[in-house]
Amino acid sequence: MDAFRITLVEDNVPDLLLTQRSIREAGLNCEFTSFADGDEAVSFINSAASPVPDLLILDFHTPCADGPSVLNAVRSNPRWSQVPVFMLTASTDPSDVARAFALGAERYLIKPTHLDGFLEFGQSVKQWLQNDQADSREGAGAVTLFGRGLLCLLLLLLPVAKGDSPEEDQAAPAALKKLTLEELTQIEVTTPSKEPVRAFQTPAAIYVVTSEDIRRSGATDIPTALRLVPGVEVARIDANNWSIGIRGFGSNLTRSVLVMIDGRTVYTPLFAGTNWDVQNVLMDDIDRIEVVRGPGGTIWGPNAVNGVINIITKDSKDTQGMLVSAGGGNEEQGFLNFRYGGGNGKDFSYRFYGMGFTRSPEDHPDGRNFDDWRESQGGFRMDWQEQRDTYTLQGDVYDEAAGKSTQVNSYTPPFQQIIDSNALLSGGNLLARWNRTFDQGDDLQIQFYYDRADRQTANFQERRDTYDLDYLQRVKLRARQEISFGLGVRVDPIDDTEVVSGLTFLPAKRTDYLATGFLQDEIGLIEGKLSLTVGTKALRTDFVKQVGLEPSARLLWTPTDRQTVWAAFTHALRTPSDAEENFYLSGYNPQSAGGTPVFARFNANPDFAPEQLNGYELGGRRLLGKNIAFAVTAFYNHYHDLFSEDITGAPFLESTPAPTHVLLPAQFRNGLKGITKGVEANGEWRPKEFWRLRGSYSYLHMNVYTSPGSGDVGTGPGIAGSSPQNQVVVQSNFDITAKLQLDLVYRYAGVLPGGSGIPLVPGYSTGDARIGWRFNRHVDLSVAGQNLFQPAHPEYSGDPYGLVGIKRSVYAKLTWSR
Amino acid sequence: MEQVIRARRFLAAILLLCAPLSTRAAEQPSEYQVKAVFLLNFVKFIEWPASAFARADSPVTICIWGKDPFGETLDRTMAGEVVNGRRVVATRITRAPSPRSCQVLFLETWEKEAAKAVSGLGPGVLTVGEGRDFLRNSGMIAFSVEDRRVRFDINRTAAERASLKLSSKLLSVARNVEQ
Repeated sequence: MDAFRITLVEDNVPDLLLTQRSIREAGLNCEFTSFADGDEAVSFINSAASPVPDLLILDFHTPCADGPSVLNAVRSNPRWSQVPVFMLTASTDPSDVARAFALGAERYLIKPTHLDGFLEFGQSVKQWLQNDQADSREGAGAVTLFGRGLLCLLLLLLPVAKGDSPEEDQAAPAALKKLTLEELTQIEVTTPSKEPVRAFQTPAAIYVVTSEDIRRSGATDIPTALRLVPGVEVARIDANNWSIGIRGFGSNLTRSVLVMIDGRTVYTPLFAGTNWDVQNVLMDDIDRIEVVRGPGGTIWGPNAVNGVINIITKDSKDTQGMLVSAGGGNEEQGFLNFRYGGGNGKDFSYRFYGMGFTRSPEDHPDGRNFDDWRESQGGFRMDWQEQRDTYTLQGDVYDEAAGKSTQVNSYTPPFQQIIDSNALLSGGNLLARWNRTFDQGDDLQIQFYYDRADRQTANFQERRDTYDLDYLQRVKLRARQEISFGLGVRVDPIDDTEVVSGLTFLPAKRTDYLATGFLQDEIGLIEGKLSLTVGTKALRTDFVKQVGLEPSARLLWTPTDRQTVWAAFTHALRTPSDAEENFYLSGYNPQSAGGTPVFARFNANPDFAPEQLNGYELGGRRLLGKNIAFAVTAFYNHYHDLFSEDITGAPFLESTPAPTHVLLPAQFRNGLKGITKGVEANGEWRPKEFWRLRGSYSYLHMNVYTSPGSGDVGTGPGIAGSSPQNQVVVQSNFDITAKLQLDLVYRYAGVLPGGSGIPLVPGYSTGDARIGWRFNRHVDLSVAGQNLFQPAHPEYSGDPYGLVGIKRSVYAKLTWSR
Repeated sequence: MEQVIRARRFLAAILLLCAPLSTRAAEQPSEYQVKAVFLLNFVKFIEWPASAFARADSPVTICIWGKDPFGETLDRTMAGEVVNGRRVVATRITRAPSPRSCQVLFLETWEKEAAKAVSGLGPGVLTVGEGRDFLRNSGMIAFSVEDRRVRFDINRTAAERASLKLSSKLLSVARNVEQ
């Protein structure tokens, strides 16, 4: 005979599985259609094509439309009105029972508390369906109990409060215990990330942005995701340009912050910074972003002076199956992402992806809409595991056109002009990593990568190849010591092409290199309570022909599991770059129009020394109760040998490059000093399981001043004036139902006073919002809005010096995964 | 102004969509609720030698060594459970267990001290931990979360060395069985 058709509405997955199993085990041949919430069920019932089932089993308290509303929909739908309905519920409230029968439920069944009860329930459904329902109508109008029913019967007689949360907590393990092993492996669970726990006991100002945080922020690029990190200054300059700073020194080059993607340093020695326009990652692939504020040079490498941004993508075994997402809006005009992951289900897995987007220019009061942006990218990752060994191979290629506005100077007329054109940016990378774990948790890792970056802009072209080899080992010794050490070497052959005579790298073909070694010891002074980490990095580059040291000492005190206090001293270096040592940059003085043209030129400085930092930090973290956590960090940083712009002599007549012009000679030197001090506080409160609130406040005081004897032209105030003194972020993540999420963000950044010819940018408050609907396991729709408080607001002075308004933007995104 | 009003109405409509606000958003069980039930299932599907217990009527004791990620869930899960005539109980320990006091030993973090102690535990103790590294350090069952589901891998050699008999059912549900 044909299978019976049964429709189930049940939001509790274990109960759903048990219900299905019990009916199957009763020996009934049947087909199930299931819904996890009332709204889905109602729209199914009312759709013309829905097959009418032989039986509808309905939970009473379902999300969105509850059981009685679904029942109502059934009875008022002409096709479904005769479908028998069983209420299967934990509710023993007499008024619920009365309501169910009033709406025409066939039976009211109390959910069994034991597996036997479910089996009995299956038998009764079978009997009822097979004995031509009419014969067994004697059950109608009664409340039926299965299994150990006596207790329930007693409960039924008592007035019972509905939906008490402690009872529901206890119900969860009870239901789970009824599942078979296979069923248990199919239950989706909520997994609080372990990273926050690890981060909680780290003697540094570390903050972890999880993949869930990124998804719920609606961020479509890494800089936007970084806006959520306490103490990080993210200012969007235009559509494809950001200033990112940590504890000051915000600039579009993000100087002195080390940025890594899966262990690959994306910091370029060209100008000691990061080109954010080519650091694109499929956002769904990111496992987490770890941000360390403050110096991290000892472990992380040179140039981790003000902080480290470490982007880590998921293991390919966690990205199995197909994922397609697409969407668009006003600023985010259109994007398409594709990913497929597979493997042998055991020790080998892989994924590959493709992505592309097109973005509209931001708001330009002068109408120069130069900053449109189109990008396409693809890549792969493979992971395999043997007993003790893990191997990873991954790579990406990208190609993009990013609109830029560039001031171009040349010794021939027109001497100076602003060119709005597309920068053509392309490149790729390939990375291989081998990790071996030994007994007792010791491990070693060897990693190699190759990276190519090709930049063609209006005033400069570069092709840079990077080869990097790193070795890292950790050994736990007796006497509570864990020693880490490593060696690394990086070689960059570079080919620069002069596009305009005002910007030249000499020699044009050259090779940068970096060699590093580090040693660190973590010593448990009092077991589990007090530990000291001391270490140093030693490094050498082609720019400085002597070894530089980056020592640090960190003390961690964990009086209890719920409290951490730490203090650190670090000495860190920002190594010189091509932009100081091999670089000639000319600027035309417009006041010389008519007569002999006047130029100022920064000549290469082969003696540029590393910028140095002595950093002092003190931090604490505390958990209060179950739901509140907060952290406070205070820092004092003293910098010397900071980059300065010095006049090095009197103007003179120069004939090469032709034509003859007046030249004011200048040079980048180490003539500035600086101090920064500040406090960062952030906290989290979960008033309810479904509601998470987070907030942060950061305060920064910064002073950059000229060293005695320096010829600096007064750049200090401009550097200090490019970071906000106060920043606030407040976030709310709210699960309206299991399928509907509402996320809100409020952001405030204080005024950027500017100075040294850089204009002031007013402070601003704005907000972001996102609504996500999860239709079912495969389909997800979200609408995200950013910068919602005003049509447009500037966040940073543009280059060259026009304020670009960052627009209010809204986009919708549809994700399908399988 | 009109936009503000419209935005407010839109928000109000969304909030009403599912009124009353359901406290059942957290219907998904948590990772450790499921792991606790797995621990109970391990007790059911593994046979211990009689020598693993201090007395004929000793309970099966699940010991959490060091950090306890379960909390009350574990005790609630084990409450009232009897397997092969033995009660199942959970307890927390801070140092290596004395012989026959723990039949299941769960370690969330793999510290050097623990590694040394575990290798010297002798027969009759099932070690359960997190992540496949745990198996490489002679742990017997390692949980991992894959695609938001709790799975486990088994190091059969280590378990058999400890005189534990794993049922074929358990082996068939494991993601990987290392021999």
